[in-house]
Amino acid sequence: MREKIPQNSRRNFLMKIATGSAVTVTASVAAPGIALAAEKPKHYGMLIDTRRCIGCHACSVSCKTENEVPLGETRSWVEYIEKGRFPNVHRSFLPRLCNQCEKPACVKVCPTGATYKRKEDGVVVIDNDVCIGCKYCLQACPYGMRFLNPITGAADKCDFCLHRIDNGLVPACVNTCQGRARIFGDLNDPESEISKVLANNATTVLRPEMGTFPNVFYIDADHTDERDAARTGEYVRVETHRRQLKRV
Amino acid sequence: MLELHWGLPVILYLFLGGLGAGAGTVSASIFLRSGGGDLAGSNFRFARWGALVAPIAVIVGTGMIVLELGSFQTGHWFKWINLFKTINLSPMSIGSWMLALFILVSLVYAYTFLPDDAHPGDHRHRLRKVLAWVMVPLGVGVALYTGILLGAMPSRPFWNSPILALLFLVSALSTGVAAIILLRALFGHKNKIDADNFERNSYMLSSSDMLLIGFEVLVVFLFVMYAHLTIGGVEDAVSVITGGPLTSQFWFGFVVLGLLLPVVIELKYVFPTLLYQKQFVMPRTMEVLVCLLVLAGGFLLRYIVVIAGQITGPVGI
Repeated sequence: MREKIPQNSRRNFLMKIATGSAVTVTASVAAPGIALAAEKPKHYGMLIDTRRCIGCHACSVSCKTENEVPLGETRSWVEYIEKGRFPNVHRSFLPRLCNQCEKPACVKVCPTGATYKRKEDGVVVIDNDVCIGCKYCLQACPYGMRFLNPITGAADKCDFCLHRIDNGLVPACVNTCQGRARIFGDLNDPESEISKVLANNATTVLRPEMGTFPNVFYIDADHTDERDAARTGEYVRVETHRRQLKRV
Repeated sequence: MLELHWGLPVILYLFLGGLGAGAGTVSASIFLRSGGGDLAGSNFRFARWGALVAPIAVIVGTGMIVLELGSFQTGHWFKWINLFKTINLSPMSIGSWMLALFILVSLVYAYTFLPDDAHPGDHRHRLRKVLAWVMVPLGVGVALYTGILLGAMPSRPFWNSPILALLFLVSALSTGVAAIILLRALFGHKNKIDADNFERNSYMLSSSDMLLIGFEVLVVFLFVMYAHLTIGGVEDAVSVITGGPLTSQFWFGFVVLGLLLPVVIELKYVFPTLLYQKQFVMPRTMEVLVCLLVLAGGFLLRYIVVIAGQITGPVGI
């Protein structure tokens, strides 16, 4: 049963006045050219619904082939978190990728300006021709996302598949995800799927205390680690599925 | 964070760069205070040792970090030039510029001391004096910036402490003084001009080295204390040296052998002069031993800090 909203309520009336005056003000102040050009820049982000992740590693594999990531290195991977004692056990999956932070620690320390946050879409990128491989950013990233590419000698990491998103495609990991656990999109567009799902769900980011403001969000992520095990006496095992056997 | 991205080259750079910057700063400040007008062969002489050792140590150290660059390792030999095509607020960017400037200035400063008969008032004296004024702030800057560089990252709780830079500065100054004493003890005896004056300067150097190490002990205490009183990532990181894998290296190697033992030995020789104005006599072997201990301690400090910072990271996920 839908409640009928009265056409001329006091609230509607006030809102109409407010919008009307706002429009008049903008129209009179802003030059027409500026008003047309003021298109909002994109703000790419990702939302990973870990409830839909089955830990199949399709994203890790597609990332490696798509970006020709050298052997032994990983731009994206899936961690398994196992905990509990039989019969009360649980295993959850935590897909990891560069958080494309709002305040990227790596950008702040780069001495050559080789790594920067793109103004047009907020993706943190590395210019291979400028990077000297000093590894300062590898130290500064609180998520251990960066590695030194042994072929180019420059720092390397996930860039949301820049060559794909620049051409209107989604990143390879999103494209390949079997459980459709990953949603990629523009956080500045309220009509995008990611904005809607973000608004409707409880989400978390990784290591928020680092002050980096990640743009990769998780639904139902398990933030358990070995230290929790030490405190609660619970059995916890984290498998990283990458060369670095311990989570970084 | 368990992989060592920065290894021995960076450790050696931090040690040699600190030593060179410290020696340069000490040399220039000694020269400015009493090296110019004094008897030839007095303070001027050890300002000379510092001036000569500074560029050598810093250049060797800087060569080391180039070896650690990913671009250098993959055959892009001169890509590091990119550092000097820009300047930004990254501690490494500012530090590189300062380092380059220090190398240039210290080379010219060393050149003014180079002739065997260099003495106060010779024709290079004015240049020497101007450069000494530049050497002091530049040397302090080079010694400081490495600590700031490491301390700038919340992702490395072991390094992320404001006192790390001060620790590096004090350690740089004390290793710089130790390098000067060592060179003087090994090569300075040959052509000393005035034996009394030589010993008086030895006393001044040893006692200032002692003072610096004493200050370093205090800074180390503050560094460990701060970390110990914190919870979370910092406490977890500092456990590497309070019970973790680097405990014995830190407490026995650095604190006992690198700081306390040299201080005790120097106290033994400095106290009679300090309290009773007795003639300062310190055997050459003891001088050499103290210097070697201080230098080893300085190296061990860089080693422990660089390794400990990288084998620890933020807690939780």
